[in-house]
Amino acid sequence: MATMEYQGYKIENIAKGKMDYYVYTELCKGCGLCLAKCPINAKGEKCLSWSKEVGIYQTPAVEPDPALCIGCGTCALICPDSAIRLEKKA
Amino acid sequence: MAYKLDIAPALPDAQNEEVGASKFCPGCGHGMVLKSLAFAIDDLGIKQKTVFGVDIGCCLLAWNYLDVDTVQNHHGRTTPVIYGVTRANPEAIGIAYMGDGGGLAIGAQHLVNAAVRGERMLIVLVNNTNYGMTGGQMAPTTLPGQVTETTPYGRDCDATGRPAKGAEMIAAIANPEKSYVARATISNMRKLRSTFKKALETVDKGGFAFVEVLSVCPLNWRTNNVDTWARLQQMEEYFEVKEFVSGSEGQNG
Ligand SMILES: Cc1ncc(C[n+]2csc(CCOP(=O)(O)OP(=O)(O)O)c2C)c(N)n1
Ligand code: SF4
Ligand code: SF4
Ligand code: SF4
Ligand SMILES: [Mg+2]
Repeated sequence: MATMEYQGYKIENIAKGKMDYYVYTELCKGCGLCLAKCPINAKGEKCLSWSKEVGIYQTPAVEPDPALCIGCGTCALICPDSAIRLEKKA
Repeated sequence: MAYKLDIAPALPDAQNEEVGASKFCPGCGHGMVLKSLAFAIDDLGIKQKTVFGVDIGCCLLAWNYLDVDTVQNHHGRTTPVIYGVTRANPEAIGIAYMGDGGGLAIGAQHLVNAAVRGERMLIVLVNNTNYGMTGGQMAPTTLPGQVTETTPYGRDCDATGRPAKGAEMIAAIANPEKSYVARATISNMRKLRSTFKKALETVDKGGFAFVEVLSVCPLNWRTNNVDTWARLQQMEEYFEVKEFVSGSEGQNG
């Protein structure tokens, strides 16, 4: 199998500095389903929002506020296109 | 600007990494259903013996989604093609993937007879309450009052009957001792994965499994992100999310 290369961006130190948050711009279609499911957004805070970066269809991708994101992984779990990955820091 | 990332996305092993973004519309539920199915295939380590059949409808866009042998079929005919495969090759685990139109309209006779005979296969029926691929016409599952291309004033149940409840119908006719029948939803992704796992375990033991998944079609529903989830919740009120038959669980034979 060919080794794939992935474009995107990384938001460091979410979840009180314990995790990093990756967004893959070739996978994000800008559907916004993640924004509507983020439990912190649901409390009225602006945790996960539209980014200045764009996804595969040149529509805005998403990014979390590292100070608010608790690293629950809901956004990554529901993303239909697996465009979000959370990783514990080593 | 985006740059090259040092780690790959967290895809299931049974998903075909090389295709990149799926062919589904932004926010389509098919992606969530398929990724859960692929994780369940990983959980059981059955990728090598799985044969995947996709129906016509938006399902066909999954012809290269999984990293397993895949066959694309005529509309409604995925069920007989897949049990043909598992009858000829008893080692194979067959999965027939279809929409609500494919399973409950044009392919309903196959669904009924596969369930009655207890064919050794998993049928996944993705219920998005319309014919997605052809532009959002009324399907057997369209909710009462729902506006579609062919019900511009809302579905009138006096004229068109009531929405078909696939999981209840299959639960009523499948052999309770050798079948697994459930309705799941993409609003609970962990449960969806474990439901697929139980269904595939049933098939691995020689049984029949049917999983209807409540899904979303934001394109034809013309819904934004918030309204898409809200519509799914309405569907969950109409179509009960539950395990109807779990006969073969804990059985070894
Ligand atoms: C024999 C036949 N009849 C009709 C069609 C046209 N057709 C293509 S997809 C489709 C319906 C798809 O709806 P569904 O099965 O619910 O899948 P979805 O696209 O919603 O996932 C129809 C009627 C066809 N391709 N073949
Ligand atoms: S990250 Fe996923 S769920 Fe969120 S907007 Fe992008 S494609 Fe949609
Ligand atoms: S990990 Fe949880 S808190 Fe952080 S953006 Fe995603 S859904 Fe919101
Ligand atoms: S038409 Fe609907 S079901 Fe088909 S890919 Fe688009 S959102 Fe998904
Ligand atoms: Mg459909």
